[in-house]
Amino acid sequence: MLDIKIKKSLPEFRLDVSFSVEHEILAIVGPSGCGKTMTLKCIAGLFPPDEGLIALNKKVLFDSRTGINLASRQREVGFVFQNYALFPHMNVFDNVAFGIHQLNQFGNKVIRERVSNLMHKMHLGKYEKRYPGQLSGGQQQRVAIARALVTEPQVLLLDEPFSALDSIVKESLQDELLDLQKYFAGHVILVTHNLAEAYKLSSRIAVYDAGRILQWDDKKAIIDQPANAGVARLTGVKNLFNGVIEEAGSTYTLINIAELRGLFRAESKSSVKFIKGQQVGVGIRSDHIKLTEESGKNTVPVQVKKIVDEISGNTYHFSAVAANGLETKLEAKIPHRQMEKINIGASCYLHLPPNNLVIMSR
Amino acid sequence: MTELDLIPVWISLKTAATATIITFCLGIAAARWMAGSSFRGKSIIDALFILPLVLPPTVVGFGLLLLFGRNGPIGQVLMQFDRNVIFSWSATVIASTVVAFPLMYQATLAALEQIQPNIEDAARTLGASEWVVFHKITIPLAWPGIAAGTILAFARSLGEFGATLMLAGNIPGKTQTIPLAIYFAVEAGHNSQAVYWVLAILMISLASIAALNYWKKRQYSGNGSKFTGWEEVPSHAGHKN
Repeated sequence: MLDIKIKKSLPEFRLDVSFSVEHEILAIVGPSGCGKTMTLKCIAGLFPPDEGLIALNKKVLFDSRTGINLASRQREVGFVFQNYALFPHMNVFDNVAFGIHQLNQFGNKVIRERVSNLMHKMHLGKYEKRYPGQLSGGQQQRVAIARALVTEPQVLLLDEPFSALDSIVKESLQDELLDLQKYFAGHVILVTHNLAEAYKLSSRIAVYDAGRILQWDDKKAIIDQPANAGVARLTGVKNLFNGVIEEAGSTYTLINIAELRGLFRAESKSSVKFIKGQQVGVGIRSDHIKLTEESGKNTVPVQVKKIVDEISGNTYHFSAVAANGLETKLEAKIPHRQMEKINIGASCYLHLPPNNLVIMSR
Repeated sequence: MTELDLIPVWISLKTAATATIITFCLGIAAARWMAGSSFRGKSIIDALFILPLVLPPTVVGFGLLLLFGRNGPIGQVLMQFDRNVIFSWSATVIASTVVAFPLMYQATLAALEQIQPNIEDAARTLGASEWVVFHKITIPLAWPGIAAGTILAFARSLGEFGATLMLAGNIPGKTQTIPLAIYFAVEAGHNSQAVYWVLAILMISLASIAALNYWKKRQYSGNGSKFTGWEEVPSHAGHKN
């Protein structure tokens, strides 16, 4: 188990996070400049936190109270950088072998064997003699991952490993990373600003914002039950409203949403209990909203404002009239095959399914 | 017409080689210190390191005289050990070193600042000690800049005239380097003698540039590899002055 509890003052904000990783892939998601990379650097020993504790199983890597601060080289932490950071003056083999040489434990024959085995597993065998500058981005990133894994570290830190790659290479490399557990049994932390990537690769997600963790939970919970509007916004919930609890039942909740001028029913899976009269946030993902022609329960009358044609479907932008007469914007994503004939300016109804409507504390 | 006197050639070579070795070490050390730190007054120290390059050599020589003279701070210390560097061979080395240092320092600093910090950090996470990071990663990556700085520093010390004359004087057989010998030969009307030394210094300069170019190219791109990353490093880093 890798335990992290660190504080560090940075020019823009204060990093103050605490979480743990247990033989899994944990994804840290957040906007750029929110302290994600700094967290990894603190764990790797490249930057000292101001205070806190970092412990790997029983081994203390950093403890501000006892003054322990192990050097990077003693931490058994593999780091994969966003821009690969390969050694440009060494060929692929020497890059991958660099870590083993530092162990000073093995003869050349053993090193050769271990490096070759790993490179073979990672489909790098034929590039042994090439230099990083002669490889594509995807190949370079695979070399960087192999280089980090060859010393069999306890922890693997991946800092936006796919962000510089084109989408095809990205997907195949992501699939390879899913197979990583076949040859890596340690803890993995993946830093990314891409929620889809985090969801695909990790089992748990920590949502960062300005140096704090807004929510740290199973990936499904992050998507289905964001803890607050901040998480909802960062995880791509486009429709967010303010509401007041009208009735809190055991399996359902009724919320009065002034912005949509109506009473809405939510069948929340949340363990949090709300009370009547409580101010809450209400959100729904744009792909959960359904278009209907008639009024009914959980529907809202809207007007089509804009239609954006995308590969996966059309994104509709609607406006509804709020109780105070102002305009409320809504967004729905509707797959092409379900597309109905609808034009800009047309009036229709949106159905917000009760089991997709999420209630959040404010 | 006198016989060709090779002693100035020998003194020049000895002086330039010694000064280059000292500058090489000092320049890399200073550049590494400056590249890896940020503190108040950093730009003042940086300016101080480059100062000998922008000052007229006679001013540098005069400054060194004040420092190393009988009443200068360093001169006083040396007096305790019953030593005096003024008008000695050591003075030629000191003058050349001080004047060549900024070239080595600047070229190396530019090369070090070019290295992505992530590359060195990657080596650290792979178990490398600071020394291994320095000599396996930093130095090879900064190599083109270091080599360029070395060439320039050697050429500069070989051609050093003003500061040497101020600090070491023109003592034939002791402190008379080729540039000094040429000047005093021409002044005395011994033009043919001067031509010999001009040819000698021309040959040394060309040979050293060729040798260092070969050295620069061979290092780390040997065994038939195609490492081309150096093209990104400005090899003109030290030339701008």
